[in-house]
Order: sequence, then C-alpha cells, then structure tokens
Amino acid sequence: MNFLSLVSIEFKKIRRSKILLIFFVSSVILWLPSVLNAHLNFEMQAEGISPEHNFMIQGFMGMAWFMFPASMVVGTVLLSQTEITNRGIQKMLTLPISTAKLCMAKFVVLTTLAAVQILIMTGMYYISAAICQRMLDYPFLLSPLFIAKEIGMLFLSSIPMLAVFWMLSALIQTPIFSVGIGLASIVPSVFINNTKLWYCYPISYPFFVITSEYGKLAEHIDTAQVSLFPWIPVALFLTVAAVGISCRYFGHAERK
Amino acid sequence: MNIIETQNLSKSYAEFHAVSGISLHIPKGSVYGFLGPNGAGKSTTMKLFLGLTQPTGGTFTVDGMQYPENRIPILKQIGSFIESPAFYGNLSGEENLDIIRKLLGLPKSAAAEALELVGLTSVRKRLAKKYSLGMKQRLGLAEALIGKPPILILDEPTNGLDPVGIHEIRELIRSLPQKWGCTVFVSSHLLTEIERMADIVGILNHGHLLFEGTLEQLKSTAIKKGYPTDNLEDTFLALVDADNRQSERGCMQ
Amino acid sequence: MTFLLECKKAKRIGFYPALIGSSILAAAIPILNIIIRGEIDVTASKSPLQGLLGANWQLMTMLNILFIAASASLLYHTEYADNAMQKLYTLPIHEGSVFYGKTLFISVMSLLTLTVEFSALAFCSYYWYTPENSFILELCQNFGYSLLLLLPCVVLALLISEFCQSMWMSLGICVVCVFIATMLPTDQFLLSLFPFALPFQMLDTAQTVPYLCAACTELLILIVTEKIAVKIRRSIS
Repeated sequence: MNFLSLVSIEFKKIRRSKILLIFFVSSVILWLPSVLNAHLNFEMQAEGISPEHNFMIQGFMGMAWFMFPASMVVGTVLLSQTEITNRGIQKMLTLPISTAKLCMAKFVVLTTLAAVQILIMTGMYYISAAICQRMLDYPFLLSPLFIAKEIGMLFLSSIPMLAVFWMLSALIQTPIFSVGIGLASIVPSVFINNTKLWYCYPISYPFFVITSEYGKLAEHIDTAQVSLFPWIPVALFLTVAAVGISCRYFGHAERK
Repeated sequence: MNIIETQNLSKSYAEFHAVSGISLHIPKGSVYGFLGPNGAGKSTTMKLFLGLTQPTGGTFTVDGMQYPENRIPILKQIGSFIESPAFYGNLSGEENLDIIRKLLGLPKSAAAEALELVGLTSVRKRLAKKYSLGMKQRLGLAEALIGKPPILILDEPTNGLDPVGIHEIRELIRSLPQKWGCTVFVSSHLLTEIERMADIVGILNHGHLLFEGTLEQLKSTAIKKGYPTDNLEDTFLALVDADNRQSERGCMQ
Repeated sequence: MTFLLECKKAKRIGFYPALIGSSILAAAIPILNIIIRGEIDVTASKSPLQGLLGANWQLMTMLNILFIAASASLLYHTEYADNAMQKLYTLPIHEGSVFYGKTLFISVMSLLTLTVEFSALAFCSYYWYTPENSFILELCQNFGYSLLLLLPCVVLALLISEFCQSMWMSLGICVVCVFIATMLPTDQFLLSLFPFALPFQMLDTAQTVPYLCAACTELLILIVTEKIAVKIRRSIS
C-alpha cells in the first residue's frame, strides 16, 4: 500500500474530531489581547523594535511558549485515543500493513496538524494586524515573504519536538503519563532556553527560535541566537531516534 | 490439506498457561468449530494466528507459511473478528469499511458487498458509535468478510445478535466454504451453534486440546469413554468435567 | 464514601504515580532554581518565603494546574471508556455524587501536592535563608490561601471533563483554559479571576480578602452551573 494513501486514511480516521475548532479558538484567544492592547506596541520602540514587528513576534512567542506544544500533546492524545477507544488499533494490527508504516503515517498526520495550527495562527495574525491597521492608522501588516520565513522556521524547528511527543505516546500506554510528561516537559522550556545546552531539549526548539528572532528584530534586546552547530546534528539525531523508537514500539502493547 | 497447522503451540503469562502445547489441524475449505468454556484459551489461540500476541512455545503455519517470518503474507490471507467489534466510533459504518478496503487494496464495490452481506446497507451512513450492539457486531463481521479472504477467523461471531440475526449469520458462515471456497475457524461457547455449522470441532479446556475431529468421531470417542452422546452439549460437558477432575487430581498430587 | 470509591477507581490508571511525579517536579523547582541560578535575592521581599514564591510560584502553579487538567480528563475518561458512567447513572445514587466525589478527591490530592511543594519552600527558607519566628504561621497562611484559590480551577476542570466524553476534547479545552490563564495579566483583578488564572495569585495582604471572596463565589457559581447543566443534559438526552 502506498504511503500517501495510508496517510490519507489516517486523516479520515480523525474526521469529526473538532481539533480544528480547538486550534481556531486558541488562535482567537491569542490575538484578541494583542488587538485590544495594540497601542502598547508603540511603547516598545524604545527597545529598538518597530510596532508591526513587535505585534507579530509577541503573538508568535505567546504561541510557541505554551499553546503550540500543548496543542500537539492534545493531538497525540487524539491520534492514540481514536485507535484505542473502540479497539480500532486491534483491527489495524490484523491487516497486512507494516506497523512501522502505520506509525509513520500517524506521525505525518501529527506534523500536518502542527502545520495547520501554524497556518490558522498566521491567518488570525493577518486578520488581527488588518484590524489594528484600521484602528490605529498604522501599517501593522508585514510582508508575506517575511511571515512565511518566520512560520517556516517555527514549523521546521517543531519537528523534533513532535517526534518526542509522538515517541512518548507510542511508548507509554497509560494516557496520564504520556500526557503528563508531555505537558510537564513544556514548563521548563523557559529555564532550559537560558542554558548553553538548550539544543539537547527538543521541546524548547520552537520557543527558542522565535525568541532569537525577537532578539534580531529588537536592537536593544539581547537574546540567545541560534547557532546551527551543534543544533542541527543533535536535532536530526534526536528526531531520527525518537521516530525510530516510536516505529519500533508502536502497537507493541496490543501485540504482547 | 491443512490450511492452518500448529505444533505444540503455547502461550503463558507468568504462572498462567493460556494455551498449553496444542496441535491443531484445520483442513482447507472446512468450517472448524472451536469449542471451550470461557477462559479456555480460544481467543488467545486466535490472537496467536493474527500476531496479536506472541507464542511462548511451539510454531504454526498458515497456508504453508511460517510465523513470524511471513506475518504480512499470512495476514493477507485472513479476515478476522476477535472478541468484540473493533471500529472507529466517529466514522460511519461505510467509512469504517472504506478504511479497511483501502488498506487491503480492494475495489470500491467490496465495501458495499460486505455491508450487503451482513445486512447493514440501510444504516451504512450512520455513525458506528450510534449503532446498536447487534449492528456493531455485524459491522465487525463485515470488516472480516470484506474482500472474500481465503481464511476467516471468527471469535464468538453471533454474540449480541437476536435469534433471526444468529440464524442469518450461521447460514452465512455455513455457506462460505461453498460460495468462496474459504476456510472458517469459528469459536463459540454455544454448542448448538457449532453443531449446526462445523464440519470439524476442536475442544479446548484450560489451554489443553481435549479433542479434535469430526462430530461423528467425537461421538465414537465419547461412546468408548462411556460419556453421554445424546447431544453435543452432554458430550462436551462430560469431556470438560473429566478434564477438570483430572487437573484437580494433578494439582493435589 | 464517594471519596473512598474515587480513591479506589483511581488505582492502576497511573494517577498516583503521576501525582507523586508532579508533586516532586513542582517541589524541585525552587530547589533547582537556587542550585542552578544561585541564591535568590530576597532582600526586596517581605520575607524569604515571599521572595521564593515570587521567583518560583508561576512555574509551580503551571505544573499544578496542568496536573489538575490532566487528572480531571483522565478520571472522567475512565468513567466513559467502558461505560461505567452509564452504570452509575442507573444506580440509586444522587446524580451529582460522582462529580462531588471527584471534586473532593482531586482537592485532597491537590492538598497533598501543595504540602510537598510548601515543604520544599520551607526547606529552601531554612537551608539558604534565615526566616523569622512567624515563618510557620506565614507558611500556613500561604498554603491555605493557595489551596483555596486552586479549588475553582479543580471544579471547572472537572465540569469540562464531565461534559466531554472523549479525553482529548476535555484535555484540549482545559489546555486552552491554561493558555488563557497564562495570557491574562496577574495584576488586573477582574481578569485574574478566571478560575485557571486564580491559582497564580500569591498571598498579598491588600488583595487577600477580595480574592478569597472571589474564589468562594466562583466555587458556588460553578457548582450551581454543574447542577443546571446536568438537568439540561437529562432533559435533552
């Protein structure tokens, strides 16, 4: 069976799940205070950042710190519970398909959910920026190319984090452990980003990348900058290891 | 020719022996009735054939193929229904079957055929979680029957069905070897069910295979051992009772 | 009795190890913070405890409310997963008793978590600083205040979970609530009254009474809401 068909089947399984509604609501909640407090962006000019950049980056930082990783933990719960609730996984394991392929297809669904959340978030950004532009008569809208670069980086940096969350979900059958560890792992991101070994902790990657962008945009604010070495090799290794472990142990409990 | 064969197949969980060294011989094109009280090891044996649990001893072959080397080719041959229906509650009956159809690489008509076969066509658009118990059971059966597999493994397929449903499914199972030339390995604790469906029976108790053969052979064995032979139920109860007493004696010694 | 039943139902679903893990993790925050970043300057604060709370309470609370959200979702998930809830509704017990039982259960578990966390804060105060004689009283006051402010969050998380049969849905809504709480400014009284934001508040003599009153009012409102919601659900189902 071709891999893309398998991925499309996995998408079919999460129909009517209303996960997009959760993404949408969280995006509205994120941007609403930014619109209401849009005038505060002008005060940040003292830090050497333009109001439009500040408006954008503060929103994306808010997303990358908690809501984005937490939604992805919820995404893993959605994917695993869809299989477990009425024993769908047992049926899947009796079909002539490789469990590793099935696991990979689910991981692709998870990464797509991440991309969708980022896109919804970006859509809401444009709506919010347009509202602020009309309200304050100031050009808040940034060029699509610049935004595409920012969200592209956010998405790519989130893949290792997604791999770790997916590994937790595949390895740990007790939902409270996989969920608990996933959610608890988000909390120390702020701490870890201030250490030299931030690249060893994939959960903090999206937040680190966006924070470093903030540092670039704000002249008077110093934030740690992304250095591709040893980050990229470490991230690649962790991603491959996490996905490999997930594929190895996916469906293991049901086949004991 | 036997399509499924096991050699001393065993499955143990710590101290508990769910299946103890059984050697089954399931002839091609037959309906094999697998009998046994609750907890005898019927479902575990079926799960072993599907790779849902790993054997702790012995081997088995399906259509001449050895497990685990040929897991995927073996699964290609089998349509299964284990313990209770497995489905996605957020999808309709039709969508559930469509998923399995695509995974098996079957033509579009296969899902409709399977729905028709189990009598779910009229409710195919309804969400599976809103199905009645009997409908869920039928959906589980349709998932096993889709694509006309050469081997069917059905664990208590008539559970939760009304008398009309039981009759329908029994007739369907009975007709499959002639219709598709398939082999059916069906378990039940309803003895009359097996009596009406099976060509060959295997009786399991506490993980041990007590008997394997045709119903006539069962009768003659029972006569030899002095067990009642008026109906399958009496013979079955006598066999199981004798085995239970023997194991109790073994434990005491 | 319902409390004991809830204790029993929470067995073997990973709740107790998660409780221990979450408590230890939250308690480790102030200790690790001092070990990694060096002694926190508490001279500007009223007392070492206030200084420690100021430096760590946000993260500790975050863990506490995430634990509450995950436990509430899990406890109701175990009820719905194998139709146990349906069975409970057919028993001659008060319809709300399951909800109250779970509320009491998570509240008691939160009390245990807070005990571990405040013990860690006490340890830090004695080990790295010189607390005043009134320290124990101050510790107890902060403990009680934090516990009371946590209760509306417990009730709301359970209310959400009671009405969402799929675990990911209740967890998703709770996570959105946690997110809202992190977005709200803690210094704006009205906004900080959101049940998931309330636990982030620390004992502050000027605002203590209003916050305590608000927490009690919220508890009352949430319990009445639950009663009404159950009635509506029964009438439409």
